[in-house]
Amino acid sequence: MATLVMVTGVLAMAQLISTATANNLVARHSTVATILAEQKLEQLRGLAWGIDAAGALVSDLTTDTTTVPESPVGGTGLQTSPSTALQRNTPGYVDHVSAVGRIVGRGAQAPPTAVYTRRWSVEPALAGADGPLVIQVLVTANRDRGRADQGNVGRLPGEARIATVKARKRQ
Amino acid sequence: MTLVELLVSSLITIAITAALLGLADPAQQIFQAQPEASDLQQRLRVSVDSLQKDLVMAGAGTYAGPSGGSLNYFIAPILPYHAFGDAPDPTQGTFFRSDALSFLYVASAPSQSVLGAPLPPGTLDLRLAAPPNCPAPTASQLCGLTAGDRLLIFDEGSQWDVFSIDQAGMGAALLQHRGAPSVASYESGAFVAQVRLGTYHLHSDDAAKVYRLMRHDGWATDLPVVDDVVALQFQYFGETEPPRLTGTPLDERPGPWTTYGPAPPLVGDTRGNWPAGENCTFLVVDGDHAPRLGTLGGNGLTHVELTAGMLTDGPWCPDGVAPNRFDADLLRIRKVRVRLRVQSALASLRGPAGPLFLKGGTARTGYRYVPDLEVQFDVTPRNLSLGR
Repeated sequence: MATLVMVTGVLAMAQLISTATANNLVARHSTVATILAEQKLEQLRGLAWGIDAAGALVSDLTTDTTTVPESPVGGTGLQTSPSTALQRNTPGYVDHVSAVGRIVGRGAQAPPTAVYTRRWSVEPALAGADGPLVIQVLVTANRDRGRADQGNVGRLPGEARIATVKARKRQ
Repeated sequence: MTLVELLVSSLITIAITAALLGLADPAQQIFQAQPEASDLQQRLRVSVDSLQKDLVMAGAGTYAGPSGGSLNYFIAPILPYHAFGDAPDPTQGTFFRSDALSFLYVASAPSQSVLGAPLPPGTLDLRLAAPPNCPAPTASQLCGLTAGDRLLIFDEGSQWDVFSIDQAGMGAALLQHRGAPSVASYESGAFVAQVRLGTYHLHSDDAAKVYRLMRHDGWATDLPVVDDVVALQFQYFGETEPPRLTGTPLDERPGPWTTYGPAPPLVGDTRGNWPAGENCTFLVVDGDHAPRLGTLGGNGLTHVELTAGMLTDGPWCPDGVAPNRFDADLLRIRKVRVRLRVQSALASLRGPAGPLFLKGGTARTGYRYVPDLEVQFDVTPRNLSLGR
């Protein structure tokens, strides 16, 4: 009887440890994912999308933010993304990041060293207009997001999804 | 119960007990490690939040009264060194530290005005114009400024100083200045605004094993923000194109007269120690203004890294001898990248120095390891990217 009580107690304790560890891991993923999402958002916010002194539109449509340092060519800059950019890894709108925040891939498939996948979308706030942009970033540590990748793209525990609006400003 | 049965049941009991006790030790160690892991994450979040909150505002300028716009049209609002206090880095000849960053931005307050009377070098009697945005003066405040408020005075010639209000009221104020008296001479019309400022830096003391993210308040107080921050590094990215004139006549108000940075004086006029028509960002070629700074390559749209060499080789604003001088390339800054590493506060939860631990500890089993957490994030100060 005493053994049974002890086994029950220890098993309960083990479950508690497991829960605490799992929750800490989710919290860690949430923290890092949020920071990574903000980093990408700040990168995209820093790209040119304005109006110069002569009144001409200035639009950065080529900067590659998936390289370090950023490359002026070879990327998608603030080009409008495919409508599924947040639902699946779309080259030009995805990069894969290691546990310490280094970009280790940029293709549809995550390399083995990747811990986080960062997807983003760039859409005009007004249909067809060359005006404000809605920029969204999703960071996940899950290789298979299941049904969360469908429809409006949900946010799972440990993930980050943030958005901003970038408007054209006159210099 | 036979003796054999007794022995078997005892054996089973001992085996189970041994297995359970085997679990107890790691469990105890994990119980110690998990709260620390949680605390470490929280310290990381606080560090990131503090830095982001101030950096994203850097450069916000005056927006009420005689508005001057972003500070970036006059002075460098991000300085990669200790820029304030009694002995700022420039007085020691230091103009770059990878682990320190000073920032300035105008407070969201109505206390924005211009000098109503000149402020000669070393003087501390402040007289302000009275634009409509200023609250009516009382016996204890002037344009909303009260004792203890920090004040930024700057002008179109890139001179700047931070003061504190010692006394205010009756249409005037008495200022305080940290360190050596100001040597700048401000004319009537120089901008005056309540300012937020500070310096983030790493305090790293291996002997005492103290590592902290610190924030100096820009005046006299240096306080820890977060303990056990073991690495802090700032990188700067910015415009490839030099400042150019926008076409707004230089004698017309308001500007902006340049794409960024201070406007030059009219050709023929002299400002500071520069030849006629020139300043730290523009020179005169064949009777016209031309950029003094070079193009840094790229397509003109993508940011490039601004290295320590670029940010310390001049030209200097407002000139090469002013105590508050800054490298003109600091005006290019559009993005700051921050690398931050936080460690467990308990040495007993850190293993040997290596990839997991920058500063080694005494933990000898993986159950007790709480590895350092390192992140890198970018901040694009909104007021430094107004045309982007």
